[in-house]
Amino acid sequence: MFIKNILSNFKRYSFLMSQMISRDFKVKYKRSVLGVLWSLLQPLLMMSVMALVFSQMFKFRMEGVNYLVYLMSGLVMFNYFSEASNNAMTSIVFNFQLMTKVYIPKYIFPLSKCLFVGINFLLSLIPLLLIVIITGAPISLNYLLLPYVFICMFLFTVGIGFILSTISVFLRDMFYIYSIILTIWQYFTPIFYDISMLPMYLQKLFKFNPLYQFVTFARTILLDAKTPSLQSFIWCGLSAIVVFIIGCIVFKKKQDKFIYYV
Amino acid sequence: MMIKLDNVSMKFNLGIEKNFSFKEAFIRFFQFNKKKKKPEDFWALKDISFEVEKGEVVGLIGSNGAGKSTMLKIVSGVMKPTKGEVITNGVISPMIELGAGFDNELTARENIYLNGAVLGYSKKFIDQKFEEIVEFSELREFLDVPIKNFSSGMTAKLAFSISTIVDPEILIVDEILSVGDIKFQEKSKQKMMDMIKGGTTVLYVSHSIEAIRDLCTKVIWIEHGKMVMIGDAKEVCDAYYEKQMGKKFVEKK
Repeated sequence: MFIKNILSNFKRYSFLMSQMISRDFKVKYKRSVLGVLWSLLQPLLMMSVMALVFSQMFKFRMEGVNYLVYLMSGLVMFNYFSEASNNAMTSIVFNFQLMTKVYIPKYIFPLSKCLFVGINFLLSLIPLLLIVIITGAPISLNYLLLPYVFICMFLFTVGIGFILSTISVFLRDMFYIYSIILTIWQYFTPIFYDISMLPMYLQKLFKFNPLYQFVTFARTILLDAKTPSLQSFIWCGLSAIVVFIIGCIVFKKKQDKFIYYV
Repeated sequence: MMIKLDNVSMKFNLGIEKNFSFKEAFIRFFQFNKKKKKPEDFWALKDISFEVEKGEVVGLIGSNGAGKSTMLKIVSGVMKPTKGEVITNGVISPMIELGAGFDNELTARENIYLNGAVLGYSKKFIDQKFEEIVEFSELREFLDVPIKNFSSGMTAKLAFSISTIVDPEILIVDEILSVGDIKFQEKSKQKMMDMIKGGTTVLYVSHSIEAIRDLCTKVIWIEHGKMVMIGDAKEVCDAYYEKQMGKKFVEKK
């Protein structure tokens, strides 16, 4: 009954959501010459800059690892999380105008932002695949497991987005606080370095970072052509679902109060 | 029964703006005569109950800040009442503010779809009615122009055309009867009248006593969030006018 309710609600508002996503797309690339090509170019260029900085300037070496694929996979995944969660956080406050005029279920705003950035993420998989092919990284049947971790990452991001958007309605300072949290989180996720370079206690701590779990899951497939361990499957799925559910509960409990804090 | 309000009360916390900041907390810390300031509660609506039957045109009157718009927002579901219950049966078309969700960067064509979606229309419905909307708005030649280049009158015409394309089961109107230039004003007013008189259930807020007298079958008068009077349109309007102006209402010839 409850599930059925959610589904019918979802179906009813799916057109609105698709309209909002396509609006975001149109507005994002309006007036830029290269348009949607930027979604492909940007991660590629970011990776090139970081690869140059770390391998040439800092003489950073990771023996026996396809560094470009390593870097690019971490970068693309973390970028999804940071952009989507950030957009989801601001989506409620920025759409206050609309919320006071017509009734729209409020979860639509953060969710549509996570989906919109998700499409961008899918596009950025093209340059990632390109790097995989060019550098001759092994492609295996394990690739079929990648959607699993992407879905986990999506659910996790939506959950975080719900929590952040709720907090930021009551405490606008969250916008600034979160930008700092994101910077810290980025360094605490091994995007350009390997976790084995860190002291043991930090390594243990890092395993509690869901983003580390997601990135590692993907890298096991992309770099080693191996099936990730069962433990890794469970960790990813569990952290995604727990955070997603917490996010939903927090959001649902507080959403009726949003309108007083315009 | 189309709309039912049961003991609806709505509380606003006026002090919410300065709810918490470090500056406040800091100043308060050094104030020795610590008088706890109570948050200012403001009851925008207090114990309102009424029912609206199918096909009734109900007018809401009262001075500015009496709670009329709050009531419309509660009925349309934008706000949840602090206390009490609201039951509505049927598709609600809120004409509270036009053009909700318009994006200035997008063209008129794109905005028709976006705004339509915001108002709860389906894609199929907009596809079907697209021609009609464009025709009514008189903006065919500007369909592919971003609406940031529109004049406010043009935007209003477009918004009006989109939101009046439905046959709503419950129509909620806040003052808007006509927009645009002389010709369009006449046309939009006619359209509104057709909608109101077309047998749908209407909840209509206006300061124009004459419009209310003409259109409504029932009138609710609220003042300071409380219901003063409910009943026959003419009776309530006359009583309201007399109270406000201190003289009897005389119909213009």
